[in-house]
Amino acid sequence: MRPFRLILVAGIMVLCIVLLSSCKGRSSDRGDGSSDPDISSRDGFVIRYCPKWQPQAQFAGIYMAINKGLYAQYGLDVQVQELMQASDAIDSVSEGSLDVVPLDLLAAIIANSEKTRLVNIGQISQKNTMLLVAKKSKQINSLADFEGKRIGIWRSSSNLITKAFLKEQGISMQFVTIDWSINLFLQGGVDVINAMRYNEYHQMLQAGLKKEELFIADLHELGCRIPDEGLYVKPEFYQEHPKQCKAFMQATKDGWLYAFSHPEETVDVVMDLMHAAKIRANRAHQIWMLNEMKKNVMPSAAEIGILKKEDYQRALNLLKAEMDFPRDIAFEEFYPNGAK
Amino acid sequence: MAQNKVNKSLAYQLISFVLTFMLIIFIVAIFVTRSIYSKVMLDIQLSNMQHLAHERIYLIDGILSKVEALAKIARSVAVDHDLSDTEKEIMLRSLLLDNPEVHSLCTAAKASDGVPPKVMYTIRHRFLQREIQGQDYLYQDWYQIPHNTGKPYWTEPWIDSQGKGEMVISYSMPLYQKGDITGFLRFDIELKYLQELTTNPDHFKLGSSFLVSSTGTLVAHRDLDLVMNQSLFSLAQEYNDPLLSSLGEAMIAGESGYIKIDGKSPFKNSWVYYQNIMSNRWSVGVSIEESVLMEDVNLILLIQTFTSILIFLLVGIAIYARALSVSRPLKKLAKAADRIGAGDFDAEIPLSDKSQEIVTLSLSFSAMQKSLKEYIQNLRITTEEKNQIRGDVIYASEIQTKLVPTNVEHPLEIKELRAYGILKPAGDIGGDLYDYFMIDDDHFCFVIADVLGKGIVAAMAMTMVSTLLLSIAPYYKSSKELLWELNKFLSRNNIESNFVTALLGVIQLSSGRLEYSNCGHLPLYIRKMDRSFVKYGQTHSTALGVFENLEIGSDIIQLNTGDEIILYTDGVTEAMNIEEEFMGLKGLEEIIQGLPMPNPENTAKSILNKVQDFARGSTHKDDITLLVIDYKHPGIT
Repeated sequence: MRPFRLILVAGIMVLCIVLLSSCKGRSSDRGDGSSDPDISSRDGFVIRYCPKWQPQAQFAGIYMAINKGLYAQYGLDVQVQELMQASDAIDSVSEGSLDVVPLDLLAAIIANSEKTRLVNIGQISQKNTMLLVAKKSKQINSLADFEGKRIGIWRSSSNLITKAFLKEQGISMQFVTIDWSINLFLQGGVDVINAMRYNEYHQMLQAGLKKEELFIADLHELGCRIPDEGLYVKPEFYQEHPKQCKAFMQATKDGWLYAFSHPEETVDVVMDLMHAAKIRANRAHQIWMLNEMKKNVMPSAAEIGILKKEDYQRALNLLKAEMDFPRDIAFEEFYPNGAK
Repeated sequence: MAQNKVNKSLAYQLISFVLTFMLIIFIVAIFVTRSIYSKVMLDIQLSNMQHLAHERIYLIDGILSKVEALAKIARSVAVDHDLSDTEKEIMLRSLLLDNPEVHSLCTAAKASDGVPPKVMYTIRHRFLQREIQGQDYLYQDWYQIPHNTGKPYWTEPWIDSQGKGEMVISYSMPLYQKGDITGFLRFDIELKYLQELTTNPDHFKLGSSFLVSSTGTLVAHRDLDLVMNQSLFSLAQEYNDPLLSSLGEAMIAGESGYIKIDGKSPFKNSWVYYQNIMSNRWSVGVSIEESVLMEDVNLILLIQTFTSILIFLLVGIAIYARALSVSRPLKKLAKAADRIGAGDFDAEIPLSDKSQEIVTLSLSFSAMQKSLKEYIQNLRITTEEKNQIRGDVIYASEIQTKLVPTNVEHPLEIKELRAYGILKPAGDIGGDLYDYFMIDDDHFCFVIADVLGKGIVAAMAMTMVSTLLLSIAPYYKSSKELLWELNKFLSRNNIESNFVTALLGVIQLSSGRLEYSNCGHLPLYIRKMDRSFVKYGQTHSTALGVFENLEIGSDIIQLNTGDEIILYTDGVTEAMNIEEEFMGLKGLEEIIQGLPMPNPENTAKSILNKVQDFARGSTHKDDITLLVIDYKHPGIT
């Protein structure tokens, strides 16, 4: 089993390297868009995808779709690109050097604030997985105790939701911008920290903190129901290749379903990718993450891959209330699948 | 099962008993030894582990303390206003070059100053310096944590991609001026250096050492797959082992102590000693697998077990040999007993000097053999004597039988009469008598008598009566006279058994006149041709042999043609059935009434058969005597 996985992982890595070097010759791969790709063809329709973060079970659906050849079954040749900042990735999509980018819903709407630059082809996350975590030893036992305290928030656009939530709750806090590390929180440099339930929260537990020592504000449960990650392409790409976009989303959903029904195999694949990327990896954390992603991606069998209009509207309203948002973007414009 | 127990040999029983007892003792001894030795060895080994951990801590803490001291020197240089920037740089450079423990160092101004931080390091003793590009450093722990806490901070391991690109841990110190942070000094130690110090296998013959950061992360461990990937808490989750969480909590809390970890994790079946490092609140652990820890104990137990088995075997062989030597004379004794039992009273009883009990047993057997032999000898003599007496009795019985007349159709060739007698003693000989003889040509005398008692004495008396009557009959033709003489004789001779009942009659053959005397005997019956009968119950005196002057009377009966005289003794009337009821005269009369046509032989035999049928099953036995005579029966030729 293990040698087989290693070969697969090596294959994926080699594929990535080869495709990175071939990005410039992109136009020659693409036909006029009117002809359907041959589903059985090994040289499928090329889709360039940029990961949101380093390999981990948060993206297990994509990995398993690649690993099990699900994209190929739909006539797609998905090429995983180098990691880049969200803003850079959006620019790359606009410029045409990237096809699909995963973004949080708020970030995607903001990117469309002036004009439509991105459309949602599928909503991976169905929930807001953001937590605000504090140590009870800092005398924080309720949201009200946040008042005036120092909170570590990400320096990426992901912090928008935290800021919006705090404003909505009328809580004034000192913001300390942090990167991915939770050490500032562990060392007491901030009183509260934003954390994903599937990732940073579990890292805290793996650093010796106990659940009962922590006060947790679950944004989703507190009404801030704005889902996280969706998959985006530029509108022109969608108009030219709607079937491929749909196939990409379908294969990705299949990948997630496979991952949820084969958790051990999935975690093996994820762990191998992490080892190959030489990043810190422990199995218990990846199992936790996959379980949490299942609650997030598939809260019920009917809710997978779909952007709900009410979620979109809630996100748009939040942004309009929080910032000087120039226009009202129609749901069908943002999410063309929603028009059908 | 019980049979099996009985059949088990002495050797088997001794061996099984003693060895079972010894086995219990050995098992208890092994457990006690293991318990005591384990505790002692554990104490020794745990002490060794503590010593090893102290050594590691001393080495690591020495380096960390030195770096902290160097940082303080550097800080005093950095904030010294009398020194120019060039002089400060030269001093920092020499500090880096003179202290190989310092992998690299970094100076950073406050972000708002807009001056990029500088990293200094050496490659092959060549001093290099570069500016950190971009703003990412502002979010790195080495900058952000002291910036937010205002205190020096030892970072978790991180990759200094803008320095030498190695994994390091950093001591980062804020620089203050008038209470405000003006910049930071960062001293880096290569993590590999600390890992080598921690896990150097030369220092660990039995176990291994590991290093845990302040977040519980395994920073150094001989299993490289765990390093920087796992924390004690993640291992606790992966292997579902709460003890690993306890270990992690104790280590990051700066505690020291021992813990035994079981489960399935990389620390399985190991003892762990842990103690914290003062400088950076990391912790060092030393782990040794319990099997290694207990190797010496197990060796001792193995030797003890082998010794026990050897002792077991030797004791078993010794018991077997001794049991055989003890049981051998017992087997011989048993064989001799079998021979005695089979009748060989001269069989030799083996004598053994193996043990007092067996000697005593042999002597007892000899004494028993002697007594048995004497007893059997006496028994043999007694039996012979008894047999001789019995022979005499049988001979006497034959004589007695010969004394009574032999049954023929016409006794004494008398044409007028038929007679048939039966004498059936209860034992070999009896006390009853019947007889008949001619006194002269016309007078036929018959008698039936019953002597008191049974056996030889009664038989002798009967013999006397018979002989006497024969000798005196020719002189007396009257029944009463004959009996009077008999009584006198019996009374005078004072015979012990002289009480005799008798019925004697004399028939004048020519006339059919019967004179008879009944001296204490049972009634006489006369059966007629028409099968009716007459009972003559009159007695003429008491029994004979008691009173010498006994008056005896007589009666006369005129016999008719075909009259049948039936005489009998008390063996007939006192016959007893199974319900212990006597036959009595009534029973006899019922028999007589049912008899067929008169014929002495048939009558006698029929009465005897009926009496015997009546008494079948009863244990009561008495002499039975019957005498039947008929007179001038028309059938007589």
